[in-house]
Amino acid sequence: MSTELKRALYNISALADLGQEITSGGSSFQEKIQSVLYVITGTFLTNKGAILDRNREDGQMHILAQRGFDQLDPGRADTEGLASFARNEPCPLPAALGTGVGAGILMPLWVRDEFTGIVLLGEKFTADPYTAEDFELLRIIAAQIAVALNNHSLFRDLSDQLDENRRLYEEMRRIYHDTLQAFAAAIDAKDAYTKHHSQRVAKYSVAIARELGWNDHDIEGIYVAGYLHDVGKLVISNDLLNKKNPFTQEEVDEIRTHSTLSHRIISKINFPWKDVGKMIRHHHERLDGSGYPDALSQEELNDGTRILTLADAFDAMTSRRAYREKMDIQDALNELKNCLDTQFDNRIMLAFCRVLDKEIKGELPEPDILPHFDRDSDLTVIASLLEGIIRELSE
Amino acid sequence: MNPAQFTVDSRLDGDTAVIYPKGYLNNLAGESLVAECGRYTGKGIRKIVLNFGGTGLINSIGISLLLQIIEDLRTIEGTVCFSDMSKFQIDTLDMLGLLKHLRIFPAESEALQYLGAGTV
Repeated sequence: MSTELKRALYNISALADLGQEITSGGSSFQEKIQSVLYVITGTFLTNKGAILDRNREDGQMHILAQRGFDQLDPGRADTEGLASFARNEPCPLPAALGTGVGAGILMPLWVRDEFTGIVLLGEKFTADPYTAEDFELLRIIAAQIAVALNNHSLFRDLSDQLDENRRLYEEMRRIYHDTLQAFAAAIDAKDAYTKHHSQRVAKYSVAIARELGWNDHDIEGIYVAGYLHDVGKLVISNDLLNKKNPFTQEEVDEIRTHSTLSHRIISKINFPWKDVGKMIRHHHERLDGSGYPDALSQEELNDGTRILTLADAFDAMTSRRAYREKMDIQDALNELKNCLDTQFDNRIMLAFCRVLDKEIKGELPEPDILPHFDRDSDLTVIASLLEGIIRELSE
Repeated sequence: MNPAQFTVDSRLDGDTAVIYPKGYLNNLAGESLVAECGRYTGKGIRKIVLNFGGTGLINSIGISLLLQIIEDLRTIEGTVCFSDMSKFQIDTLDMLGLLKHLRIFPAESEALQYLGAGTV
């Protein structure tokens, strides 16, 4: 085999090496560029080489990889001047790249009409001059590197844009939740006895949903429903909400309109979560079909509604009202248990008891329900009661 | 041995470091060979034998790394000898015009003998 043929095979092999390094998975961009630099310096037999890219934002040249060009000072480089070199034409190294960079070759990198960077090569180890064949090979290699740099740059831009979008989304989400909380505070402020009720219902609902294995998106949906379930009370008079005497039937009927009012108020909002409207409208429905406003049958009640119903009832029972004192936790749990099948779902009750049991035992890093218990609550008694209910419902 | 897993062993023979690259010298893992040479030169060793008996493929990346080792030894006025290279490897170095710049010996013992004979 002639030397020329062997050399041609070596060059083809180098191109294959280059392609492999550029497209290899599992390595970082920096590792790829370092490998590419080795391929180039090994192909052209030089100990000095560098790959620089032009930053799209500041237009400056930045060293991506180099060896032997320690004196290289890309800050001194006139980017416009570099871009003015003939495309795809190797040229002698300009002195402007730094004192002491020595002799060598500069190859501008272009993708379509965009100047993306340069490749620098020092003198050959063998002291032979670069040949026309070398330049031809360098043009091919440079084209591949230019595309790789451009792709990386595009990917970086996309990634930056994604980060910015994510940041904006989180910002909007935070504002949204702040608004929700302000809304809930307005609802709860109408009734002196239901301060923080919406917040607690939201938290209890989240705790149950998480125990049931809901995904984060759906959990956020029930959190929102919890906060807004009583928004219709904004329309009901303060006097009625804070009335101490027993309600007349008319007053009961009026208070019961709050769930449909809540639904009407939020119905114009296009929530990204499913069933928020249904959960809010139906949080006073019952499994036996005697709830309001639609007297739905249990088949028509989704899990979210069943969770919200139980969380709302538990908080109502354990909170003081104008017309009654609050129940202690044991009594409230027993009341929930007595109303299983008619009002509350066994499965939801089981999840509620399990999560409460875990909170009491300290098995959850951030308890949602326990912090709202009275300080004098007898946790040992409650835990024992919970174990009994859990055992019974698990059978 | 998996050729993709490049490893480097070495030993000291008098004032000469003998280094055994194993696997393909064709990717960034080959930098460990340069590092191993640097470890010895950092200790004042200026004679190195690279025994290529355990190395099959040397591609453009491998050639680049070898040039770096040669340059590093030249900088400290040291000497590097290559031994136990396959005919294919020698042909590659010949085709690249590198043979006249290298000291290549058929066997490690001959390289050691050359370095020990005070001819460097």
